[in-house]
Amino acid sequence: MADFGVGVPDEIARLSLGQGSAPQDTLPPSIRSDGIAVVDITAKFSDAVKTLEPGAIVKDGFFTLFDSVAALEIMDPKMDSGCSTTEAEVEHLYDVSKPLLPEEVLGIIDQLLCHEMSWHLGYPLSQTLFTSFYVEALSTPDPRSIQEATFIRNGGHDPNEQPMLQVLRAYCLGMLKSCGYVNERIKSEHYYEEEDFVTNTYNRTLLASLPTDAIRDVIIEAIAALKSQRGSIPDNLLDALLLRLELRHIFLDAVECPKHMKEPDMAKKPWKEGLAILPALKKSHSLASPVDEAFSAKLQRKLASTMPPRPIVQLDFHVAFGHLKSLFEDGLELIDVLHYTDSQCLLTFVSTFQAKKPQPIVYVRTLLQTFLFDAMEVLGSMSIRQLLDDDFAILTMPAHQYLDRLNDEVEAVQDPRYAMAQQMELFRTRAAQPFLDILRTTCQNRCRVRRTLCHLLRDWESLQVDAEEIDQILQVKVKEQPTMHWSSMGSGGVESYSLPLSSWTYLYKLRQMEQIIQLGFELEIYQADELAGMYWYLNYISKSRLHHTERIKSFVIKRVEETHGQPGPGNPDPTIGAQLQRSLMYTRLSLLDAAVTWELSDSLSCLYTVLNRLKLIKAPPRPYSTDELRYEIRMRPFAPVGLPVLPTFEEFTAGTLQPDTEIDELFEYAERAVEGAKRGFEALSKMTAEESFSVGSHQRWAAATKNGLKSCIATKIAISAVAKAVEKSKDLDNLKIKVEIPTPEKAYHESWIVPKIVPLA
Amino acid sequence: MAGSSTKQLPANLEYIQYEHRLEGQYLPAIRALISKDLSEPYSIYVYRYFLCQWSHLCFMALDPEDSSLIGVIVCKLEVHSSHSPPTRRGYIAMLAVASHFRGRGVATALVKKAIDAMANRNADEIVLETEETNTAAMKLYEGLGFIRSKKLHRYYLNGNSAYRLILLLKAVDPDQSSLYDERQVT
Repeated sequence: MADFGVGVPDEIARLSLGQGSAPQDTLPPSIRSDGIAVVDITAKFSDAVKTLEPGAIVKDGFFTLFDSVAALEIMDPKMDSGCSTTEAEVEHLYDVSKPLLPEEVLGIIDQLLCHEMSWHLGYPLSQTLFTSFYVEALSTPDPRSIQEATFIRNGGHDPNEQPMLQVLRAYCLGMLKSCGYVNERIKSEHYYEEEDFVTNTYNRTLLASLPTDAIRDVIIEAIAALKSQRGSIPDNLLDALLLRLELRHIFLDAVECPKHMKEPDMAKKPWKEGLAILPALKKSHSLASPVDEAFSAKLQRKLASTMPPRPIVQLDFHVAFGHLKSLFEDGLELIDVLHYTDSQCLLTFVSTFQAKKPQPIVYVRTLLQTFLFDAMEVLGSMSIRQLLDDDFAILTMPAHQYLDRLNDEVEAVQDPRYAMAQQMELFRTRAAQPFLDILRTTCQNRCRVRRTLCHLLRDWESLQVDAEEIDQILQVKVKEQPTMHWSSMGSGGVESYSLPLSSWTYLYKLRQMEQIIQLGFELEIYQADELAGMYWYLNYISKSRLHHTERIKSFVIKRVEETHGQPGPGNPDPTIGAQLQRSLMYTRLSLLDAAVTWELSDSLSCLYTVLNRLKLIKAPPRPYSTDELRYEIRMRPFAPVGLPVLPTFEEFTAGTLQPDTEIDELFEYAERAVEGAKRGFEALSKMTAEESFSVGSHQRWAAATKNGLKSCIATKIAISAVAKAVEKSKDLDNLKIKVEIPTPEKAYHESWIVPKIVPLA
Repeated sequence: MAGSSTKQLPANLEYIQYEHRLEGQYLPAIRALISKDLSEPYSIYVYRYFLCQWSHLCFMALDPEDSSLIGVIVCKLEVHSSHSPPTRRGYIAMLAVASHFRGRGVATALVKKAIDAMANRNADEIVLETEETNTAAMKLYEGLGFIRSKKLHRYYLNGNSAYRLILLLKAVDPDQSSLYDERQVT
């Protein structure tokens, strides 16, 4: 049945008091002083109110929707957490000193694990870990020492001595401390509050003042105490508890792994150790006996928050465990980013890592950011200049005089090398942010990647203006000789300059445009009848990239020829040859990658055009819209871009409908294009890690390439299925087939949405 | 259960525009209808925020027999200036239809009334958010001409993502921006 849900944004979610010190008790201002004349306005107020209709809203011009959502209704039990239970009553709902059975401790620990993972997934502490009475007992008041961090603070310490409570305490302390690390890590990097994660701790410190080593000691003591119980507790239960304490110990090492940024093996160690014990931990969950009463949503009453009370988030143990396992797998995998070889391999690493399905959780994504950008250095040791120069050298400027470090030493102002040093430094200053933003953006959630790329595109557009200016200045200074350049579009020879900086910038800009379109497929932004048009536009942009890469290639080859032709000294610098080879290798990759994108999008566009024309895909009636208005919305992200020129609506329509092309011809085009794409993907999939600039992430890169190849095969099958149906049938309105558009996760590759043709009985 | 009921839809539902004088009669029903699909209720101020300022953009579907509430749509229309040029942006905030009347075009009729009212008041565009899992709502809006402009990660409290849907009513003309006048809004 239709479920027309409700669309007010959940601005309620964005309401809660900030962190920091405990709220101060505010005293009413003293109104008895010489400078104050007190007037009782009660009567006036009552009179004024009488002129209002019941329900009239009295507000100033700054009262927003946000404010209205923030307002609570006093005495509504669903909103006013104070009206049902008092704080004192909450205290008595559960006794944290009561003795627990080993299976109950195991149960509580596994429930806490579910809550911890729910928090990692984006739910607030108030609905997860902070619903535990044990967590509450350890957190408030904030313990100033490890000795103080016990479940029962006052009076007899006997209950604290119970071995089972010792185990639970050690587990909770380790858990809260690692949550503190996680929270700080996420806050220190780029993420989206509420959307990715809720960092609010409601004035709890997550044991910030307790030293980590003291907590490690407590865990080790608890492990020893537990081991001494062997014999009195069934072995399987005892081992299960031991595993969980070990996990806490390992977790603390794992969250401290950025300490070992210069020793990747050390950084990897805890993640490996965690993965080693996880299977046994999962298996022993069956022994656990949950203690639901040890958790209550009513504990929210005690938190510093204006939020209405919300239900406890329930996450199934096996789902939670799956996330925990991914956390450790992804944590281990991301350390490989430290094995830097060059800027392009780094980009491949980050983009393939973030494209993993499911995407790594926010903690892993922020940890990757820390490894990438810690302390204004890239990967712990490299300057941003090194990274940029490396990238310039790979893409457009192999062994280029502009990048010669010795230019910095030149002091003679009229020397062209002086200008090179000056101008390159200027360009690096401008390019650094947009370039690093690409890496940073890639680390965000997929929805944000697309949205942020749309904004980033403007920055690259203006960077291109700077690049063109600097290119021209330097081209005059170094008296660059133009070459005759033959464009593949057959427009004849033109005199052209290498323009290395604007070429570099333009290549990135085109890649971002492609990525924005491709993420649209992945995020299911487009409706079925829009696919023909969006693949047409992808084809348009990738064609521009192909031509641009050909242009870059011609200048790289020119440099290779110049270098070979140079008489020079007998022993030329071997790095020059290596740099030229690397650039040639990169242009080969770039050409192939642009070509497969161009051809597969061409093929899919033609196929979808046919499906639209045969009404196998039907457009909704859309009485309130026109094709032109919708085109305007679709192209909004690209409107600020000067080059490549935005197609006019007429060009777009002609490209999408291809009115003058018969269906048979469209099949022919589509087949030819997909055949070309397939050969391209085959060539790509034979590339080594070095050739494909995927050192450190070759497996992921190769898998994506293979999925591209599979998409080609699926496209071929779809084309021939439709072609056959058309051929067999006399009646184009009754082809006896139907089209299924797979969701991206069902497709071989998330940005290649290949239709499935299903025969009708 | 919702949907299993075969209650006959009255031949001619009555569609009326909300007015403040109807608050006592209909606000409790509106709240009840909308709260059904929410895990947490909105305070009365959220309803009044919309209804007191844009009652002309709120429409109700009533059963002609007993004038009871069957469906409701709540909107606003303001100048949106975070983009340049500023646009007059309509926003569909809430839409709900009683479960046993669903699937019979009541929601579509309410949305059409709202779009017409906003278009009459010179809206440039209309936007809304809908849960990614709410295929029925997306089908309704997309059938009328809305398209998805972006996906919003974990937008709802239940952890679901949303799509922003947009219906452009007029082409953006950068030269027209100076004509927008904030005072026309309310």
